[in-house]
Amino acid sequence: MKVIIHDLGPEYEALIEERCGKAVAADGKYAPCQGCFGCWTKHPAECFMKDSLQQVCRVMGQADEIVIVTRNLYGGYSSAVKNVLDRSIGTSTPFSTYRGGQMHHTLRYGKHDLWKVVVYGDISDAEKDTFRYTAERNALNDGYERSEVVFLNDLTELEAAL
Amino acid sequence: MKTVFINCSPKERFCASAYFLFLQRLFTGGTKVYEKLRTPADQAGILEQLRDAQAVVFGLPMYVDGVPSHVLRFMEEMEVFCRENKLCLNVYCIANNGFIEGKQNEPLMQVFENFCSRSGLTWGGGVGIGGGVMLNVTRILFIVDIGLLALNTVLSIVNTGDFFPKAAWIGFAENAALLLYFNLGVLFYLAVMGRLISKGEYFGKRYTRILIPSFVFILFADIFFIITSVLEGGIFKGWLARKE
Repeated sequence: MKVIIHDLGPEYEALIEERCGKAVAADGKYAPCQGCFGCWTKHPAECFMKDSLQQVCRVMGQADEIVIVTRNLYGGYSSAVKNVLDRSIGTSTPFSTYRGGQMHHTLRYGKHDLWKVVVYGDISDAEKDTFRYTAERNALNDGYERSEVVFLNDLTELEAAL
Repeated sequence: MKTVFINCSPKERFCASAYFLFLQRLFTGGTKVYEKLRTPADQAGILEQLRDAQAVVFGLPMYVDGVPSHVLRFMEEMEVFCRENKLCLNVYCIANNGFIEGKQNEPLMQVFENFCSRSGLTWGGGVGIGGGVMLNVTRILFIVDIGLLALNTVLSIVNTGDFFPKAAWIGFAENAALLLYFNLGVLFYLAVMGRLISKGEYFGKRYTRILIPSFVFILFADIFFIITSVLEGGIFKGWLARKE
């Protein structure tokens, strides 16, 4: 299944829905992660906060391919998108292993295929480098075979990038 | 010279960021202000403190290879505030993560570097720390050790009249030395960075970790999560299972 996480407005909803199995709208109407680890130790793959992201680990866990559409913020995800990712650590388990020569958590849902990031908004060369590096790290951390980052000049290029 | 230390952990108590910022304040001169950033309501007070400051030190946990979302929201507000008020601040960062490798904080550090470029601020650098949670536990163990030493001393006075129970002091010294050793890398880099913060100079990016072998660290981390999962009940709810 292809999952799209995006911080776009409702005018892009139809396009997004058409291009994926499941869409997660990063609309900011949810709480930030409290760092309690409850999604590992208390109620696996579920958050104690009863908002639209309570089950987001279970959605992202089913993905073969994740596509994240985000505004650039200092070479990283917008705060609304990052909030979704912060609340998704239950896709892994609390146990540790080595991947790529470093410590990471074992994967609750096994290996995935593609971690793709589609970035819009003004962006510098240094920020592009940070984004590519971050996507590589995210893919390794979350057990994706490969990562890809696409930088849009403007949102008219979105349809081709999805 | 005024430095604002911002604890960005969302946790109310016992967070590793508070521990590292406590150490950093010990090594930094001048006027020191300590603030907590947990909710949007904290933002205005922190921004006001920045108005007449020369340096700011962010202490934060790494979330999913980057800056936690509530901190990103604050950084956007801070960018606008600093530009409007033409502030010239040196920005430093102490990032910690739950893995053993401090180097895993690198993407987070780059985001701070890019934030400084966007905001017209001066990037001073930072320390990326691996094993932050376990290092935080060492300070709690140190406090427990002091308590045990005090208890043994009282018992020794009551039972034998001896005000200096040698065995208890030796045990305390051994434990304290071991805990100090675990923290040496962090103490060294925070001491160097503190000196440079006080002088308004560039530190660069440095990475360190709790000083134990990684396989020992992983063993202890796994034991910690097993015990916590038993106590919190997750182990009885399909602990490691795929959840549909």
